[in-house]
Amino acid sequence: MTLSSNGITTQLGDEGLSQQPWWVEQWMELINGYRFKKRLERAWAYAREGNVLSIRFEGRRVHARVQGSGEDPYKVKLWLDVLNDEDWNYVLEALGQKARWSAQLLAGVMPQDIERAFAASGKRLFPFKLQEVRSECTCPDKVNPCKHVSAVYYLMGERFSEDPFVLFQLRGRTRAQLLSDLAVKRRALLAKKAKEAKANPDAEPAITPQAHPAPVSIREPKRWWRYGAALDPGLVVITPAMEGETGLDEAGAIPLAEDGRFPEAGKHFVEHLKAQGTSFGATAMATAMAAGSNQDD
Amino acid sequence: MSLLHATWLPVVPAGSFAKGKAPTAGLLIWADTWRVAEPVSPTAEAPFHPLSLDLDDLATWLDDNNFWSEDLRQATVTLTLPSRQQQSRGTKSTDNSPWSGLPLQSGEPLPKDLSWWPWQVEGWFLKPGPAAEWLNQLPLSGAYEAGLGDDLLWWCHVQRWCLSLIARGRWLPESADGKASWRPLLNREDDRRRLEELASQMPQVVAASSPAPQLACGRPRSNRLLVASIVDKLVDGQLREAFQPGAAGLDPLLAAWEEGLASRDGKLKLDEEEQERLCGASNHWRETVAGKVAPARACLELFTPPEGEELWDLKFGLQAEADPTLRLPAGLVWAAGDSNLALGELQLEQPGALLLEGLGRALLAFEPLERGLDAATPEAMQLTPAEAFVLVRTAAARLRDVGVGVVLPASLSGGLASRLGLAITAELPEKSRGFTLGESLDWRWEFMIGGVTLNLKDLEKLSAKRSPLVQHKGAWIELRPLDLKNAEKFCSSEPPFSLDDALRITGNEGETLARLPVHAFTAGPRLQAVLEQYHQQKAPDPLPAPPGFAGQLRPYQERGLGWLAFLHRFDQGACLADDMGLGKTIQLLAFLQHLKAEEELKRPVLLVAPTSVLTNWKREAAAFTPDLTVNEHYGPRRPSSAEALKKALKGVDLVLTTYGLLQRDSELLDKVDWQGVVIDEAQAIKNHTAKQSMAARDMGRPGKGPRFRIALTGTPVENRVSELWALMDFLNPKVLGDEPFFRQRYRMPIERYGDMSSLRDLKGRVGPFILRRLKTDKSIISDLPEKVELSEWVGLAPEQKKLYSKTVDESLDAIARAPLGQKHGQVLALLTKLKQICNHPALALKQDPTDLDASFFKEFAARSAKVQRLEEILEEVMEAGDRALLFTQFAEWGHLLKAHLEHKWRQEVPFLYGSTSKTERQAMVDRFQDDPRGPQLFLLSLKAGGVGLNLTRASHVFHIDRWWNPAVENQATDRAYRIGQQNRVMVHKFITSGSVEERIDRMIKEKSKLAEDIVGSGEDWLGGMDVSQLKELVTLSED
Repeated sequence: MTLSSNGITTQLGDEGLSQQPWWVEQWMELINGYRFKKRLERAWAYAREGNVLSIRFEGRRVHARVQGSGEDPYKVKLWLDVLNDEDWNYVLEALGQKARWSAQLLAGVMPQDIERAFAASGKRLFPFKLQEVRSECTCPDKVNPCKHVSAVYYLMGERFSEDPFVLFQLRGRTRAQLLSDLAVKRRALLAKKAKEAKANPDAEPAITPQAHPAPVSIREPKRWWRYGAALDPGLVVITPAMEGETGLDEAGAIPLAEDGRFPEAGKHFVEHLKAQGTSFGATAMATAMAAGSNQDD
Repeated sequence: MSLLHATWLPVVPAGSFAKGKAPTAGLLIWADTWRVAEPVSPTAEAPFHPLSLDLDDLATWLDDNNFWSEDLRQATVTLTLPSRQQQSRGTKSTDNSPWSGLPLQSGEPLPKDLSWWPWQVEGWFLKPGPAAEWLNQLPLSGAYEAGLGDDLLWWCHVQRWCLSLIARGRWLPESADGKASWRPLLNREDDRRRLEELASQMPQVVAASSPAPQLACGRPRSNRLLVASIVDKLVDGQLREAFQPGAAGLDPLLAAWEEGLASRDGKLKLDEEEQERLCGASNHWRETVAGKVAPARACLELFTPPEGEELWDLKFGLQAEADPTLRLPAGLVWAAGDSNLALGELQLEQPGALLLEGLGRALLAFEPLERGLDAATPEAMQLTPAEAFVLVRTAAARLRDVGVGVVLPASLSGGLASRLGLAITAELPEKSRGFTLGESLDWRWEFMIGGVTLNLKDLEKLSAKRSPLVQHKGAWIELRPLDLKNAEKFCSSEPPFSLDDALRITGNEGETLARLPVHAFTAGPRLQAVLEQYHQQKAPDPLPAPPGFAGQLRPYQERGLGWLAFLHRFDQGACLADDMGLGKTIQLLAFLQHLKAEEELKRPVLLVAPTSVLTNWKREAAAFTPDLTVNEHYGPRRPSSAEALKKALKGVDLVLTTYGLLQRDSELLDKVDWQGVVIDEAQAIKNHTAKQSMAARDMGRPGKGPRFRIALTGTPVENRVSELWALMDFLNPKVLGDEPFFRQRYRMPIERYGDMSSLRDLKGRVGPFILRRLKTDKSIISDLPEKVELSEWVGLAPEQKKLYSKTVDESLDAIARAPLGQKHGQVLALLTKLKQICNHPALALKQDPTDLDASFFKEFAARSAKVQRLEEILEEVMEAGDRALLFTQFAEWGHLLKAHLEHKWRQEVPFLYGSTSKTERQAMVDRFQDDPRGPQLFLLSLKAGGVGLNLTRASHVFHIDRWWNPAVENQATDRAYRIGQQNRVMVHKFITSGSVEERIDRMIKEKSKLAEDIVGSGEDWLGGMDVSQLKELVTLSED
């Protein structure tokens, strides 16, 4: 068996999980709860050796290519039971009840208690047990899940960290769809409220829409050429970053699943950027210091 | 003169570049200039901008000013510019005639019917990276005078912000749409504010580019998004050029990302599937760190608990980025549903989503908020005291940094006011007149936090509650751990409080007393009067002209005298910096006479002035203060020993000397116990390392007795930061500290970076000692006649003097011997020559400037006292941005002076004289009257320029040499002083004292009644004088 040059591997050990977002942890718990431990261990080794060539979320399915003993890689498909429109309707209804859920989803955060919204439909976002994850593999092995499928299980956890919203996708709605559906729901809810309020004479006064004002350059033609503002006092002396306040510090680790053949690549990437950033900063400060110096007598 | 502009091209249209591939965005540098142009009618394509500088001229201009860069590329683009409708000359406007007109020049007054039209403009283009580099070299303090438009200052500020973002590491790499790029993060509170400010103040020329060369106008877009995208591109360009890839052990995705970040086009060399993965991860990485660029943001408003209750209210809503006081409660946001919501002038789309998204990010910074978002449409929640404290103390700043507004109750809203400080009430002691700085005042104080006063007992009681937020007198305030200790320390020390402290505290923001900030200061009525006068918050009390003063003071001059006397009583140096022509000399003389009348003038006063005005001082002193004994320390016969000087100064009140002699005779002059030192044209000491400046400052230090210091200058000293230190070191050395401190604290920040807060602080410090009034001040205008005539008395430089005497001696002999028929001509020739000598020896010697080298111009001014004085006055005229007409009767002099002035000010000085063609004349006049950045000086020959022209843009008229007939001079003066003139006109008449010019002046004055008789006869009548009359007329008198 030859090791494919562009295979996907993992460095995830047991300890490696502690730094992961909760939805990745939950996925790993799901796998670890599986009863055929031996088979999983083999799959793990298989994944670490780089036999999974690619994983791709396409619509509601996960497509993967796994190098087996044959020449051509096996094609693996994974999917979850999709919620039907009626189920989604319940979910949306429930999500709309709590402003926080919409708020977090809009801000790019996966709410920790999202399952409670799904519970309204009697369904789940996360599969309860691994058996709920349906799979197909083109390998001749009759056992399901075969080791190719199991290897993909492992890597999928990390892929969730790149974008948690693929879970919604697997259940039948992309994040964009979900947000727009939520907006529709919210509007309906608000319209209802407004109607109730109208019936109630003590309610807030209606807002009259205003005409679009003309752009400022038309209203104040003097502004076409003129600028007389003083330099912002905070820009007089250009200061370096405070401890832990650079964009890189705040963003933390890159949520990119790790390739076992390139251990800690994400860390190297960010560290190199940080070193470069320090040098960018030093240059910028030197440039700022020199500004206007040619006017000195 | 042309003015440089920079316009952003968000999309570079195809075909804009002569060759090579067009980049996607960048900076177009172009310039407009003044020229006569015919109105243009558009065709299918936008017409060429008729007033723009062409590529070659622009390149030359850039090169001359050291702004050339190898990265500049030619480009032709269409800009939408404000334009004026105008018919071609000679055609009549009908309803059917097509639009024709011209683009407006920057700075041109705007006509009422303004329209916007597309114009094709040639310019030089820079890609974002090189554009940033190019902007770095521009002066941050703006340089309109040097031909840089205001928009370039705006660009400088934008680039400075980019540098700050880079220095603070506020960026994150991104991969999106198959491209790798560097994106700035603009979510921090300060950066959001900067975005708002730069967007709202952006000169629209920045955004004038149109997408296509066709006849179409660009539509104004959202400035906020445009500025954000400009910052995006500038930061990306700079980091892309600086980045050196090379992290070890990267996987293929990250390696491709690095490569993309370093490459010019940013393309990611990955297949579609990999790109999708990388972009997804990048998006998720960035999402929670970066905010959105929107006109409004979510906002949390904290309210103190109602009386007797514990829980604090926190209300949700939206807040306008541009104006934080514009807010909408969440209730209205929810009620708007699907429709837009008006917030001030803003139209918010999807306000509900905007609010929710902000609240989602707020959760990351302030966890207790989670509880408040359980409902579907929450409007408010309640916080425990502990949670409220966390919000006030730490979370508010974090929330603002993730782009969520926080509004706190006034007494808690941070800043100095919420810290422990003092509220002081003070008054002058009953017997005091308030004239001694060190004297103690009657005063009371209380502690103050967040606008609430309290005493030590209150503080102890509140501290005992062991809660950081406490309620006192109905307001909630924040107590800090050290507050009680500091308060106790203050009480035990109880420092004294002097008039000095009161002046300091009322002069600047944020002053402290015994380390506690002073939050409030109330002065009793008598102290208030002293403070107001000191800080010039009200006009100084006038002092009428003292007895013995031979003349009248205008009301503002009486106030100036009062001010000089006021500061004199405080023993503070004073700088009288009135505009030229307002009579500084008279005010100073009146002040000396005031001291004399009060019998306070006991020792001599030293007045230092440039040689060129010494004569003027002597004349004015003799005219206005005949009681003062004036002595001149000047010339080869001046006393050279201490004894001789002492003898010479016996009974003398005022000694006049020059800066040169002050330096040369400093040892000698230092031996005299001067009562005061006055420096005229005080800008002469601006260079603090020059010997002249050091000598003047040394002379200002107290001798045996106290010594008052007064500086006179007509230049706006308070705006010349670099020159202020030497001046203040002369007047009141303690005010600005030593020079290195001054340079670090004020000069560098203000001059290099245009730091306004330092400038305000500096002005606050020096303000009490500088009195500057302008001709245009409302209170002055009413006191001044519309036309002010000033006699500028000048002497002769040594070369002039020698040449003058020699010429007189030789010619008088020759004339005496000449046959009658030639005498007439010879007399006239002599008079002409003498007048020429008074102007400049080079004129009399017929030296031709075209044959002469640079050293000729270097020494040009030194050879003529008149030119020196003229330069000094013109300096002030130019500085004030005024315009001036200069009249002479000699065409050759016009040529010489034109060359010299152009050399000195590097500005074109047109000269209109007899041989100027009619079209040239019209062009000169049009340009002077209409070009927004036209020449400030206009030379005219008395004969050719004296009649018919309308030059009302000038507010100064100079008669460099005298003509016998005042009517001719007046007619020339009327070029500026006529209908259409908006300002006072200053008429400067130069008179060389002791020379034929003075005699002419006297004759004009005495015979003004006869003037009519002489009209038209010019100098002819002079030819008939006999030799003794002639001798009297021309001989140089020493006075």
